[in-house]
Amino acid sequence: MPAKKSIRVTKAQQQIVKTPFDQTVFLEGAAGTGKTTVGTRRIRYMFEEKVAPDSILILVPQKALALPYYDELKRKKTAGSQVGVMTIGSLSQQMVDLFWPLVAEEAGFKHPMKRPHFLSLELVQYYMHKIIGPEIDRNGYFNSVTINRNRLFSQIVDNLNKASVVGIPYQEVGERLKSAWQGDETQKHVYDDAQRCMTRFREFCLENNLLDFSLQVHVFIDYLWPMEAPRHYLLNKFRHLIVDNSEEDNPVTHAMLGDWLPQCDSALIIYDTDAGYRRFLGADADDAYRLKAHCDTHAMLDRHFTMSDDMTAFAVEMAETLHHPLEGVKVKRKADALAAIEFPESIRYHPQMVDAVVERIAALIYDEGVPTSEIVVIAPFMSDALRFALMTRLEAYDVPARSHRPSRALREEPAALALMTLAKLAHPAWQMRPTTFDVAHALTTAISDLDMVRARLLVDVLYKKGQLAAFDNIRNAEIQQRITFELGERYDMLRQWIDEYQQEMSPQLDFFWSRLFGELLSRNGYGFHDDFDATRTAANLIDSARHFRQIIGSIDPDAPLAKDYVEMVQRGILADAYLDWQLEDTESVLLTPAYTFLMSNRAVDYQFWINVGSPGWATRLYQPLTHPYILSLQWEQGRKWGDEDELAANQDALYRLVLGLIRRCRERIYLGFSELGEQGYEQRGELLMAIQGMLRRRALEEA
Amino acid sequence: MTTFKPRPKQQEVLDYTGGLMGVAAVPGSGKTRTLSYLAARLVATAPMDEDQEVLVVTLVNSAAGNFARQVSQFLKDEYELLPNFGYRVRTLHGLANDIVREKPAQAGLSDGFTIIDDREAADILDDAVRSWVSNHPDSADWYLNEDKLEDEWVRTTRWPDDGVKAIAASFIKQAKNLELTPEGIAAYLDAYNEWLPLAEMCYEIYKDYEHGLRYRGGVDFQDLIRLALKVLRDDATFLARLQHRWPYILEDEAQDSNALQEQTLRMLVGDNGNWVRVGDPNQAIYESFTTANPEFLRNFMREPGVQARELPNSGRSTRSIIYLANGLIKWSLQHPNLAIRERKPLDRPLIEPTPSGDPQGNPPDDPTQIHLRYERFSPDQERDAVVRSIGQWLPQHKDWTCAVLVPMNTSGAKVVGALREAGIDYVENLHTTTSTRAVIGTLTYVLNYLRTPKEAKALANCYRVWRRDDRDDPEVADAIAQIAAAIRKIDHVEDFLWPRLVDWLDDFAGDNPTLHAHLSEFRQIVRRWQQAVALPIDQLILTIAADLFTLENEIATAYSAALHLRRYGETHTHAQLPDFALELEAIARNQRKFAGVSDEETAFDPDAHKGKVTVTTMHKAKGLEWDRVYLMSVNNYDFPSAESFDSFRGEKWFVRDNLNLEAEALAQLDALINGEEYIEGLATQESRIEYATERLRLLYVGITRARRELVITWNNGRKGDQQEAVALSALRAIWEEVVSS
Repeated sequence: MPAKKSIRVTKAQQQIVKTPFDQTVFLEGAAGTGKTTVGTRRIRYMFEEKVAPDSILILVPQKALALPYYDELKRKKTAGSQVGVMTIGSLSQQMVDLFWPLVAEEAGFKHPMKRPHFLSLELVQYYMHKIIGPEIDRNGYFNSVTINRNRLFSQIVDNLNKASVVGIPYQEVGERLKSAWQGDETQKHVYDDAQRCMTRFREFCLENNLLDFSLQVHVFIDYLWPMEAPRHYLLNKFRHLIVDNSEEDNPVTHAMLGDWLPQCDSALIIYDTDAGYRRFLGADADDAYRLKAHCDTHAMLDRHFTMSDDMTAFAVEMAETLHHPLEGVKVKRKADALAAIEFPESIRYHPQMVDAVVERIAALIYDEGVPTSEIVVIAPFMSDALRFALMTRLEAYDVPARSHRPSRALREEPAALALMTLAKLAHPAWQMRPTTFDVAHALTTAISDLDMVRARLLVDVLYKKGQLAAFDNIRNAEIQQRITFELGERYDMLRQWIDEYQQEMSPQLDFFWSRLFGELLSRNGYGFHDDFDATRTAANLIDSARHFRQIIGSIDPDAPLAKDYVEMVQRGILADAYLDWQLEDTESVLLTPAYTFLMSNRAVDYQFWINVGSPGWATRLYQPLTHPYILSLQWEQGRKWGDEDELAANQDALYRLVLGLIRRCRERIYLGFSELGEQGYEQRGELLMAIQGMLRRRALEEA
Repeated sequence: MTTFKPRPKQQEVLDYTGGLMGVAAVPGSGKTRTLSYLAARLVATAPMDEDQEVLVVTLVNSAAGNFARQVSQFLKDEYELLPNFGYRVRTLHGLANDIVREKPAQAGLSDGFTIIDDREAADILDDAVRSWVSNHPDSADWYLNEDKLEDEWVRTTRWPDDGVKAIAASFIKQAKNLELTPEGIAAYLDAYNEWLPLAEMCYEIYKDYEHGLRYRGGVDFQDLIRLALKVLRDDATFLARLQHRWPYILEDEAQDSNALQEQTLRMLVGDNGNWVRVGDPNQAIYESFTTANPEFLRNFMREPGVQARELPNSGRSTRSIIYLANGLIKWSLQHPNLAIRERKPLDRPLIEPTPSGDPQGNPPDDPTQIHLRYERFSPDQERDAVVRSIGQWLPQHKDWTCAVLVPMNTSGAKVVGALREAGIDYVENLHTTTSTRAVIGTLTYVLNYLRTPKEAKALANCYRVWRRDDRDDPEVADAIAQIAAAIRKIDHVEDFLWPRLVDWLDDFAGDNPTLHAHLSEFRQIVRRWQQAVALPIDQLILTIAADLFTLENEIATAYSAALHLRRYGETHTHAQLPDFALELEAIARNQRKFAGVSDEETAFDPDAHKGKVTVTTMHKAKGLEWDRVYLMSVNNYDFPSAESFDSFRGEKWFVRDNLNLEAEALAQLDALINGEEYIEGLATQESRIEYATERLRLLYVGITRARRELVITWNNGRKGDQQEAVALSALRAIWEEVVSS
């Protein structure tokens, strides 16, 4: 766990930290037993013992999981910056970039003499739309599934990615999915359609030197790693490995580590028991456990530092209720599971539940002095309406809050919408004239204190033919007064900025936004000045546009890049997963989906579980074109995926999720439940049933 | 604290411990209470695991809500147990929805599938019918009356709107109940030698209709049941899991289950399951053109191994009214028409009054308050007479309940008009979607304001809808109107909502802290909505709905509106708030059909409307009771007896040979799948009989709604040629015999 409260390190931990630098260790333990602390202390110890920083590689399944390590590295600026912190994706990309001439031809690229282009998720979607979209229309693919285009593409991409990280030839994916299907025979053709799309996309990438994530990993693992020179390079460069959350990584990474371990000087492989949350991305916890056999020594941590005694009792009770009793965990005699939770009297409606949750949060902060960063609100899904409801209500109590929702469309962020509107205003040549409604909204977002009513007054008078006129152009003094000169002045600054920009217009959208942001919007008096979420959105949008320009511009220099980009965002593509510093424990309450919180690798004092009646805690989102279990090593080829598999998968997922959350909570969990869900339907999910079952059992025992 | 002292016959049902049981109940026999009590007892005492539940299945949502409340009350009072645990109350559609949602893939659906309700389905069908008719301009030739063949108006409007649409709707419903896809029907059509014009027409419309559903990513209510059954059949392990989950299944209103629904429950019960079916075959009034049949329940009760029970005691009505209802049963068993008689439209058990000392005994008898009017009224005269009678009666019975029951919505609307004119307090419970429209209307006002944020008038409307629940109280209504008027007059809306230099609210309510606080709250809410305008439209609607609605059906309707607008946005990619507001407005004005929530979701409580008269249809009155009941329009059009002089609702004036084309289309479908010969006209005859028997049951339902007083009238119809219903004459004869003795 990251160093939030001062962390005492036990003897057992200390021992692992100080393992000699010629040994490999496999460290296992449940969440909250201090494994990551061992990892970060080990880094500190290595620095103290003068191990060369550039010989250390920290390998994690996704960037967010490295946050505690970044904290540690920041302590030693120079040395810290030399340590390699990578995921299998970034490692692959670096290696392919470095050794491109060695493999390009062999790996099937049509232009081995030209440079490769690495595609982000956004660009993959861009090309999917451009190349695969027309193909689907022409051939009538997928006509028997009702699914929106963006989701369809993301599932095709998923299939390619899973194939490469699991180590299955991508050409076999369609067949595998088909062979496990036991429903309506006539539905099977959708897997053939999916296979055709995958194949076409891969061919397109090979023809144009494009490497999406799947191809990067494939080229690295299947071509570079077996080759003498690249392998030698890696083995020589990184002599010391720290691999955290190995259970969240995938089989090809594990296989590579299996080769690597006997050849490095030292390694610390950390394995979290009962985790494995990234299965939908190809993670394979069972496979990771095999790394144990490749390590010289084995260590285990089983003392929980995070949970209070009551919380430990609750963990034990819930594990038992979910038919998976915890072994060897002792509950103190005075500990009371029920003291670790708050389950308020039945609430009928969803908004009342949200009110009750917010009221309770405010009471914790104001009456009990709990720091905001020690409170997290967790839901199986965080819809816009739920997030908005929580945010606005917390705001009314003056409680700062931030939110994290991964895999969203950029166009669904109000701040992104506003920036797009401003870009359209500044680029009349695109002929994408925004509506008065859009302009009014953009102004309220861009200018602090400008409300909807005054924005509308402004726009109605001053926005004509796609152009904003100066505040002075308002002839009617009363209207000027109503808007107020203060706001009028801010408006004029913005308008002038856009005017001046138009005189010297540069064709680059990311420059436009970063200048607009830096020179105006981030300043006092403008809307992005103290808005965490909006600032982050702006930063992501700028990054995204820059990346788009650099890649697409170098492939197709004549493309109208800026306009293409705006159109792409409007189609609703999902944003790239940016490393999200929102997850750090800044002084605000965090609102987040459950799995995202687990992936942030930290614990808090208070958790609020919202919508405990939702089935979303146990059931995964149904994806008609892909399947996390069937596309895994464990799945026996040709076996049918049946109800018992689904049920077992759900129960297992619920168990891991619930235990994962409990182990990341120190003091208390508040269970937010309304009889009717957000959509007005009765709630009866597995988590609720389990909790009620536990309560009933307790009541019977007491009686 | 609820105390429930079961009667001996109820106790026999409550003694149930397992296996199959069928219960025939009479109106007012307390079957819902008995069944709820049984459910509570099983939850509390039956040997069940933590992951097992008693499943209670009802017909409509309002009944489900009622059940859930009663079970949780019994659990709390009698057993001190947590509510919502160990049981689940569902309508059959709700149950099918639960099943399909767990296994969308098995049903060929994506997880975001939506349920298209009857109204939107009708809209899709409308499109399919119109496009078919315009592609087949000669389609009417075969069936029109000779003198109508050249009538353009009949060909282009009556034929599609009054003819094809209803025919196709029945056909599609039936095809789905028989689990036939359009492709399946196409195969039958290919193999059949004769020309079946209706079947061919309906097949093509069906195909188009299905395409429309799929395009919207939706399924209709019929599909839901069909798909649930398919999932259960295809996945034996899933079925076994559900059988384990629901070891006891209690079914209410079993007489209305159709073949598919019954099959679904039968599968869930399994070979050795526990299943209690309660119903009243005499109240089966949803059977026409469906596969439902009250005989299913009667047959079930005769199956070997089924414990058959009766709940014959009813404390609802006076002895006189019971006598009349029983008289109708006995008469129908001797019905003058052999074909009807053989079908036993009504059957025993007869209603028995409660045993003496019963806590819910029958009201004191008053034979003078049975009025079976003999006058041959015109429809207008009938209405006037009833309104006059209510006008005299109501002021003297302020603590009583009263209802006018009509066979059709349209005549109900006219009664409402007449009551309004006469200044009589009334409550409308007709099959209009007023509550759906009210919810949509409310949302429209808010969106309209958000579209035009500087308009004080629009803001005043927002205020009014925010307070709409309080407007019933006349004093509060006055205050609301005054405040709304004040808001309407605000010159500068921003001075109220986002004050900078002046705060309108301080000027307006500075000396009235209560008012100030109240309007501050409103201001906060409007600000929140304004901040939410950039959310995706469905999320914006949910955000607004959270501030405005508390009733279940309102939230559900708002949610449907949110989904509707999201779909609208997906097909109109440039749509923005103003466009969405206009779309909603169109729905609210009823220009656009919309997947709202049917009014059946709201449980109607007659006792909440004492001193007023309720106007409703006999269908919607099922399950309800009033002290005084008026049954109108009991003539041979609304309650025919299959006599030669009867005219039948399904037989359109522009169709030749008095054919009932809905019935003929189903007969063609039948002939098609059984490979039998189709003879035109037989189905029309058959449907007259079927219709007559169902209407007899409807009359029985109407009579048994009355607790103390009953008035039955009839009229001679629009053209003045209708007769008194044969059943009414028979009832009068029965009654006169009593009076004279």
